[in-house]
Order: sequence, then C-alpha cells, then structure tokens
Amino acid sequence: MRAFLQTLIGGIGFGAVYALVAMGFSIVYRTMGLVNFAHGSVVMIGAYAASTFSMTVALPFPVAIVIAIVVTGLIGLVIERVLRPLEGRDFDLMLIGTIGFGTVLEALAILIWGATGHAVPSPVGSAPLDVFGVRVRAYSLVVIAVAAGATVLLALFLRRTKLGAAMQAVAMDPQAATAVGVHVGRSNAMAFAIGAGLAALAGGLIGPMLYVSPVMGGSLGIKGFAAAIFGGFGSIPGAIVGGMAFGILDSFAAGTFQGYSELVVFLVFTVAIMILPTGIFGERTVNRA
Amino acid sequence: MRRLALIPLAVAAVLLPYGLDRYAIHVVDVAIVFALLGIGLGLVMGVAGQVNLAQIAFFGIGAYACAILTTRAGLGFWVAAALAVLVAVAVGLVVAIPALRVQSHYLGIVTLGLALAFINWITNTPEAGGSEGISDLPVPPMFGIDLTSEHLFYYLEIVVFAIGLAFALFVVASPLGRRMRAMRDDSLAAGALGADIPLLRVTAFVLSGLYGGLAGVLYAGLIRYVAPETFSVANMFLLLAMVIIGGRQSILGCVAGAVALSLLREVLADFSVYAQLGYGTVVVLMVVFAPTGLAGLPRLLRARLSRHRSGERAELRPFTPDDPAPVQGGGDMLEVRGVSMRFKGLRALEEVSLTVPAGQIRGVVGPNGSGKTTLFNIVSGFYVATAGRVLLEGDDVGGVAPYRLARRGVARTFQNLRLFGDLTVRENLLVALDHTRTAWTWRYVALPHAVVRHDRALRDQAARLLDRYGLTAFADAQPRSLPYGIQRRIEIARAMALSPRLLLLDEPAAGLNGEEVLRLAEMVRSLRASGVTIVIIEHNMGLVMSLCDQVTVLSGGRVIADGLPGEVAVLPEVVEAYLGEPAYLSDDNEDAPEAAR
Amino acid sequence: MFPSPLHRILTAPAAVLSLLVLTSCSAPGEQAGAGESGTGPIKVANVNAQSGQLSSLGKWENKGVKLAIDEVNKSGGINGRQVQLDLFDDQGDPTVGTNLGRKIADGGYVAMLGTAESAVTLAMAPILKDAKIPNITSGQSPKLAGLKSPFLFLNAPTSVTYDETLAKYLVETKGLKKIALISNNGTYGTGEHDAFLASLKTRGVTPLADEVVTPDQKDFSAALTGIRDKEPEVLFIGAEEVESGLIAKQARELGVKAVLAGGAPMGTEPYLTTAGQDATEGAVVSSPYLTNDATEATRAFAAAYKTAYGEEAEVHGAKAYDGARILVEALKATGGAGGQKLADAIRATKYAGLLGDFAYDESGVGIHATQIAVIKSGELVPETAS
Repeated sequence: MRAFLQTLIGGIGFGAVYALVAMGFSIVYRTMGLVNFAHGSVVMIGAYAASTFSMTVALPFPVAIVIAIVVTGLIGLVIERVLRPLEGRDFDLMLIGTIGFGTVLEALAILIWGATGHAVPSPVGSAPLDVFGVRVRAYSLVVIAVAAGATVLLALFLRRTKLGAAMQAVAMDPQAATAVGVHVGRSNAMAFAIGAGLAALAGGLIGPMLYVSPVMGGSLGIKGFAAAIFGGFGSIPGAIVGGMAFGILDSFAAGTFQGYSELVVFLVFTVAIMILPTGIFGERTVNRA
Repeated sequence: MRRLALIPLAVAAVLLPYGLDRYAIHVVDVAIVFALLGIGLGLVMGVAGQVNLAQIAFFGIGAYACAILTTRAGLGFWVAAALAVLVAVAVGLVVAIPALRVQSHYLGIVTLGLALAFINWITNTPEAGGSEGISDLPVPPMFGIDLTSEHLFYYLEIVVFAIGLAFALFVVASPLGRRMRAMRDDSLAAGALGADIPLLRVTAFVLSGLYGGLAGVLYAGLIRYVAPETFSVANMFLLLAMVIIGGRQSILGCVAGAVALSLLREVLADFSVYAQLGYGTVVVLMVVFAPTGLAGLPRLLRARLSRHRSGERAELRPFTPDDPAPVQGGGDMLEVRGVSMRFKGLRALEEVSLTVPAGQIRGVVGPNGSGKTTLFNIVSGFYVATAGRVLLEGDDVGGVAPYRLARRGVARTFQNLRLFGDLTVRENLLVALDHTRTAWTWRYVALPHAVVRHDRALRDQAARLLDRYGLTAFADAQPRSLPYGIQRRIEIARAMALSPRLLLLDEPAAGLNGEEVLRLAEMVRSLRASGVTIVIIEHNMGLVMSLCDQVTVLSGGRVIADGLPGEVAVLPEVVEAYLGEPAYLSDDNEDAPEAAR
Repeated sequence: MFPSPLHRILTAPAAVLSLLVLTSCSAPGEQAGAGESGTGPIKVANVNAQSGQLSSLGKWENKGVKLAIDEVNKSGGINGRQVQLDLFDDQGDPTVGTNLGRKIADGGYVAMLGTAESAVTLAMAPILKDAKIPNITSGQSPKLAGLKSPFLFLNAPTSVTYDETLAKYLVETKGLKKIALISNNGTYGTGEHDAFLASLKTRGVTPLADEVVTPDQKDFSAALTGIRDKEPEVLFIGAEEVESGLIAKQARELGVKAVLAGGAPMGTEPYLTTAGQDATEGAVVSSPYLTNDATEATRAFAAAYKTAYGEEAEVHGAKAYDGARILVEALKATGGAGGQKLADAIRATKYAGLLGDFAYDESGVGIHATQIAVIKSGELVPETAS
C-alpha cells in the first residue's frame, strides 16, 4: 500500500510537468489547428534559459523563469511567423515544419550551451515531507502548485480578458470571428507565444528535478504530446488529466515492468487511442480543411 | 526515348565502384540502403498520405530479424533474409491497425510511440543482444563471390535497389497508386468513389514494411552488426528530412533526397551540429517555399515561367449526351424510412422519410441547416443514422461503408468540391473508373502485365469520358488550376465514371453562371435519359422548378412538404421557412467532417 | 491508343540487369589500402562522440588524448616525426562508427584511440581487425575483452575489475551483506549489473532487490520505494553519470538510507552536481583514478590539463591520456610502423600510467585494479587498503 502510494506520488510529480507540456500543445492546437512538434525543444530551451539566468546571472529562480518565458515566447512568435503561409493549407506539412524547427533549436542549444548539459540545484532546499511513511518531495509540491496556478491563470485569461475571448472565438469559428472583427493572425501568434511560455514554465520547473541537456526535450515532448492526445487534444482540462494519467502510468509501468516500461507505456497508449481516438475529453478544434 | 536515357545511367551505376576507394564505396552502400528506406517512406507518407514515423523501426525489424535468425537460430543468410522481410511486412500490417482508426498527427504520435516501443524492446531483450546489439553476422554467400568486399556488395544492393525502385514507380503509376494518391488528397471523396480506404491504408503500410525490411536486410549484410542506436528517433527525423527535402510525393525525389543527405552527412560528419542545424533549416524552408521538395522544383520553375507567357485558354467543349437507355428494374431506387440523426444532442434530422422511384429526378430543397447534406451523407454511407432505415432497391444499406455503396451504384458530388487536387483531371476520372477491388492487388506482384493491360483499358475509357464531357483540353491539368464551372463539370464526370444507378448531386449549380446552369440542366436530363436516378440538392429555385419531377422540402430536419414542384412552391409553410432564413448565410458548411473512417 | 507509362517502368530494370551481367568479369575495389610511408607525420585517429547524448564523455576523452599527443609533439615527436591527431565524431551511433572504421582504414591511420562507448567500439572492432589497425578504446564493457581481438586494447579495467574491487570492499572489508541493485539496461548499466552480481555471487551474497530502469527514465519512485522497504545497507547504482545522480537524489528524498556505491561515474562532477552534496555524502566509489592528488604523475597531469583547458581533470581524460601515452611508447618501439608490429608493441609495452601499471594480456586488458574512495563533502577521499 505504501509502495503504491509512493509510486502514485512520484507519478503525480512528473504528471504535473507533463500536464504543463500538454497544455502548451493544446493551446496552440485549439486556436490554430497546428501540432507543434518543436514544443519539446522549446521546453528544453526554456529549461536552459531559466537555469542559466538563475545560476550564471544569479537571479532569483522565479525571475529567471519569467525571463525564460519571455525568451521562449519570442521563439514561439518566430515559429508561428515562419510557418504562417502554411496555416490552414497543409496540416501534415506544418507538422513536419515544426519537426524541422525542433532540430534547429536542438542544434542551437548545443552551439550555445554545449552538448554536455548541467545540473540545476533545487531552489527549495527543505527535506521531503513524511506523510504516514510516504515521502513527498517539497519541490514536487511547488511544481504542482505552480502548474495549478498556471492553469487557473490561463482559464481566467481565456474567460475574462478581451484577447482571451478573441482567442476562444477563433478556436470555435475563425470565419465568424473574422466577421465580428477579431484579428485571427494576432490570435494565433498569441496562442503560440502562450504555448511557448508554458513550455518554458515546464522546462524551468523540471530543470532542478532532472538534468538540463540538449536532448531532454525529446522524450518530454513526445510524452507531453501523447498526454495531450490522451486527455483530448485541444482541451485544457484534458491536458491536465492526460498529463497526470501519463505520469502515473509511466511511474507504475517503471515499477512493474522495469526495463520494459517504455514498451508497455506506448502500447497502452496506442490501444487507448484506438478505443478513444479523440481522448477522454474529446477533440477541441476547428476543422479548417 | 526515356528508356534510352536509362542506358547511360545503368553504365554509370556499373562503373561507379571502379572509381571509388573502400571508404567511398561504403558511404555509397549506406546511401543506397537509405534510398530504399526513403522509397518506403515516400510510398506510405508521400503517396498514401499516412504519417508514418515508424519507418525506422521497420528498418530495424528487418535488420534485427535477420541478425537474430542467423546468429541465434543458425539459419543461412538468405533464408533469414527472406523471413526477415516477411516479419517486417507482418509488422507493417500490425502498425496499420491504428491507421484504420486515427490519421494525421494522431497517427504520427502513435507510430512514433510504437517506434520507441521497438527500440525499448531490442535494448532489453537478451535475444536481441540488449544495448550492445548483435555482432558477427555471417557474410551473405553468393555463388563464390566474396561479399565482404563492399565493392561487390554494391552490385547486390544496386540490383535490389533497381528492382525496388522500378516496382515502386510501377505501383505509383498504376491504378493502385492512383487510388492511394486519391486517398491522400481526400479520403472521403476517394471512399465515395469506391476506394476501400481501410485496405488501401493497410496496403500502404505493408509496402512501407516491405521496403523497410529490404533495407534492413541489406544493412545487416553490409554492416554485419546491429545495435539499437541505429534505429533511433533522431535517425527517423533524418529520414523524414531526406524525404521532405527530396519531395515526398515523388519516389525519385525521395531517392534523391536520401542519397543527397546520406552523402552530405558523411561530408559534414565532423561538423554534425552544423549539419543538424543545416538540415533542420532546410526542412523548414522546404515546407514553406517548396513543399514538393527537390522533385517539385522543375515544375515550380516551369509554373513561374509559364505565368509570364500569355497562354491561350483552352475551352470547355459541350457535353455529348449518351444514348438513351431504359431505366433498369423499375420500382423504388431509394427509400428513406423514418431516419433521424443526432450529433451530441443536436438534432440534424428528425423522422425523415422519402421514396425516390427509379428514373426520377428528385429535388431536395430547404433553408440552410435544414439537414439536406446530412441526408446525403447518410444515404452515401458517411454517417450512420441514429434511427431509421435506408433502402437501396429494397435492400437495407444502413451502416454500409461508402466504398461498398459506391460499388452498388451510388455516386455523389460534394457541395464544396472535393476533387483530388494533386491528381490531373484524367487521373481524377481514372480513380473512379477503376472498379477493381484493392484485394486484386496481388496481381501487382504476380501478373504485372495484367495490370498494364487493365490500366490501358482504363485510359481508353477515360479518354472517351473526357471527350463526352468536353474536358479533353484539360485532361492533364490539375483541377485546382481550373475555373470553378469546369471543376463542377469534372466532379459530375467523375461521379458518372462509376456508372452509378443513383446519382446524388449536392448543389451542382452553386457558383455557376446562367449559361452554365442551362447546360447543367441539359446534362442532368440526359443522364436521367441514360437510366440514372438523380437526387439533387439545390438552392437555385429556377433550376429545381424546371428540372425536378418531384420536390421534397426540409426544414429544421423535418420533411415539411413533398410533391410536384409547382404545388410545393406555393405552400405557406414552405414560403415561411424560406423567408425566415437570413439572407447573408448563403452557404451552409455541413459537409462530412474529416472523420476517421 | 494511349501508351501506358507503366509499361516503360516495367522494362527498365531489365536493361540494368543485363548490363550488370556483362560486366561481372572483373571486380572493382581490389586495390590495397594506403600503406604508411616512412616519412611525414604519423596519423592517429581519435574517434569519440562530439555530439549526441553521451558527447560529454567524448569531449573529456578527446582532451586527454590531445594533451598527450601535444606533449609528444612538443618534445620532438616520434623519431623526429610528428604525430597528426585527427578527431572523428561517431555521434554515439555504431553505424557512423562503422563508416568511420572504413574511413580510418583507407586514410592511412596507424592506430585509433577511442571510443568512449562500448557499443560503437564493438561495431568497429571487426573492421579495424581486418585492416590491422590497433585500437585503444575507452570502453570498459567485459564484452570488449571477450572479443579477444589482437588489435583491441582497453585503457582502463573492465567493469568486472571495478565491481570485483567494490564487492570485495563492501562485503569483506565492511561486512555489509544487505545489498540492493539498481541499474539501467544500457550497455554500461548492463555490464555493471552483470559484473557486480557475479562478484556478489562468488561471495555468497544474494541481493535484496535487483531493479532495472531505462537509460532515459526520470522518475524512479517505484523502484526506489521497493528498495527502501527492504532496508538495504548498500545501494549499488549501475548507470551513467547523470542518471546515477538522479537516482541518488531521489533515493535520499524517498528516505533510502543505504550507503550508495558504484563505479567511475560516481566520482565525476555531473554526478555530484546532479545528486547534490547531501545525497552523495558517504558514497563508495570504485575507480582506477580517484583524485588529481594521488601521485606526482597525476598532479603533473592535472596541472597540464588545467593549463590547456582551464578546467579540472577527471577520470575519463586521465584514461584517454594513458591510452595515448601507451600508443606513443609502442610507436617509438616500432619506429612509427603500424599493423601487426604495432599491435605486438602495444602488448609488449609496460607503462606506469595515471591509472596504475599497465601490462596487457591476450584479451587486451592492461590494468586489473581499481581503488576505493568514499565521498566526503563532495570530494573523493581514497580508502587505504586495510
């Protein structure tokens, strides 16, 4: 029972990060119908930026993360601008274009920071909490809290602000949105910037849990994307549920199947997608074909 | 002429090793392996439109199966190789199963996940040598020729490659390849024209497995060592870059891209980060500026040049009516009984019933959102009605897949044209003319000449059809480059290529000018005269009044009137339904969604 | 009549095939590889990952090799000939490795140094053997020694030695018998796992737990919770630097109180920073190169390394340095000649290096001892043999 709970807690800690990554995928997808395969690499850039600013420039950790969010937000804008001619024309080509961007970002990271990577000290130094024999990492609690806070802020932004409402309108019906005077291009760019910002948040938070290196984006990106699809692509609650589910699945598979965990995780994922092709919450997007 | 050009190429291929040292020939040998892989990816992704990120795993399966069977089971190399290719094909079959349910990026992540699962499996399984892989594979025996010499192995490879390339080109140009390309451009329309989409998708994955397996076996014979890193996701993306840069829709383009990038990778081996930066950038530039890749560049340039030339416009020739034929069978062609359709609580159709006697022209009218297109989607098999029955000549056809209905004589056009954009007009018709089943495919391997004969017969038919619909001048143009009116005509010609007994026309007059509408009316009457029953959705009331024998009026998903055109038009509820409609919504968008069917 | 394009395609391969048959009389590519001439620089290849996941190892190795060769060249080279060191990037990919093997074979190189990854070296070994090019590798997988290739040499002990020393210290010296294992299923992790398990077995110790993880796993809660519940005295970690660090960090967070133990990765800077100082305190490390302060020679090496690269020397650079020095000694003996002569010369070389005294056996292993250190305040403190 204790082992079960401990595995669950471990899974939730990483699940929160997957959820943030998945949310970044979903916000872009629901607004402009684009799958951003470079997202994992943006997470990696975010992790590097946050850790570099906090370690080398010695800024406080939250400030470093904010700067990292700005940096990756700009990268997001660049990607959106370059791929804009393809928007609404060829879905698969855009997807491949973002894979190209991912490759470029990874190469840039190696050129800037080297291939070796570095460890990031935890900003929260306190010892893990002990709850009836189950250890809860203090830092995991921080991650979960920040992830929850980001979700609430995003939801408020989409509901309460004019720009957010415009993005929602574009997500529901771009033609009607244009008709009532919403600038679709600006909305798309905004979605991309927010998606990239979420990636930086995820990257910055995961830095101290892991080790920052140019290749860290690969598996985070793939698992985050799978989580987004699992929850219902384009849906914000879906991203959270999917992320948590994936983290927990990962954790239990590692415990039960040891070396074969990845095989099991992806087979389970494949079967789940075949049973529920649009995920738990269903796909939320416009069909712009 | 083209065939003559092959001779110097073949001579060059034979002489090439004489000019290369051992290292250079090794690089060439590896490039050929990647070229084969590229063909496989080109077939499944470029031709059939299936986002397959597991191609590298098929490669790995071929190589690993060969390695395991030779070193662990002690089989001879060639026996193991044959089995390994079969294993890869079988895995292709399995990976195709998700493709039946999901498409596009969903399929992308699923195949990528399966590729990762494969890597995970080979790194763990002791039989596969774990992360250290399997070394000391036997040298393939070849009638006393020493294949440890990579110069000689090159000849083995080039023969396999030449046959593989020829087969791929043959498949792409054949009716099967045409169907695949049609499915890539628009799987719904392809289904409505009798292409059995599920089997086509499976075939695409089988081909991709075949080429992956072949490449894997050659790799195993060449390197005689296999390890998981070779089949990593990074290499999958490299392969993808090869195919995109070369031009995914062209097999030759894929080969060129694979060879070019393999060689470039060697040249830049000491600057691999810059190489990575470079090919990433090129991929981005390619998808934005030259989505058809290197293979598409000549056409892009030609298009740019010809734009400056003032071309004399080809003209749409008049339609030649077919010989009148009696209506077959008689009785009721189509009967819709109490059909309801709900989408997540939204009621699109409510207890709709109508009967269309054979040989009739039936009009279906109604304000936008009244469920007309939904009705068509149910009759043509895209949707399965929530309740009620659909009878075709007395047989219940509810839940029958579109391609089966197409074969039973139901053809349709679409409100928003659904022509295959990257196929020529002729090919659009050829897709519909081909009535063979995809299961007929075995002939591609066993009886290629039967396929050639079949294709030739189809082309004769297509020529006649083009002529009859006055489209000969546009035969080799891409539909999207043509004026709207001509595209409408092509769609009708394409539907008629199925030789249907029931033709469903969804707003055929939309966007046509007065002259064109008149010609359309003539054409529809002539089609009826040749024995086809026609149901037509139309907003152009003048056309409906003059053309239809009987009119059904839908409003809010219900039938509110049914009768002779003159009688129906004056009914107060019909007038009210029409007046209540906001004028600016001229176009309702309720075509079938990109459902994964 | 409409000629089908299909027909053209079908007849094409026939032409190619018939041509092939015609020319099968004389085979190409029979020329011999470039022989080494007696003058000009002696070409030595260094193959190591400079990109990809494990490029940090490759970079350290290259620094060690370069330092050694530069010293030799500065002091006049080998019999007056300079040594030309060319670096090749294998990207951690065995296929690239085999390409490079051919490149080296045809490029007139007399010897190869590297790679840091056993899988790549394993893939290249048959090619280098055929081309008679001696290779001093930095890999330490027991499988390398198992090949018994006369042209393959290791610049460090194999995992067997590391783990034998470690097991001996833990079980016999310290009397710790409640031992748990966690290792990854990569080349290195598997090698460590098998070697350590074998060493435990000979001492009659059965591990309490034997958990396997994947090389890119991030969360080890499940495995570590299982281990914690068994309350072992020692947790053996068989994984590369960063993953070892993550495991150590998470183990402490989950309340595993066991002494951590492992091979060379646990003495490196990425391990220490990833795990954090608290987690690493008291860990037992088995390594042939513990600190830069061990001997006169290591101090000189560390100083030169610092001057050249501005960073502290560590075990991988030292290994590679030793390997390169051994090659230089052997080249001096053969007068710059390569091939079988050079392989024999390497086998005959007795060399007192940074890692210890090298004397090669027939399986290509030159050193059979490691030392034990305990990490105290982030520093490796050697345990004197009891």
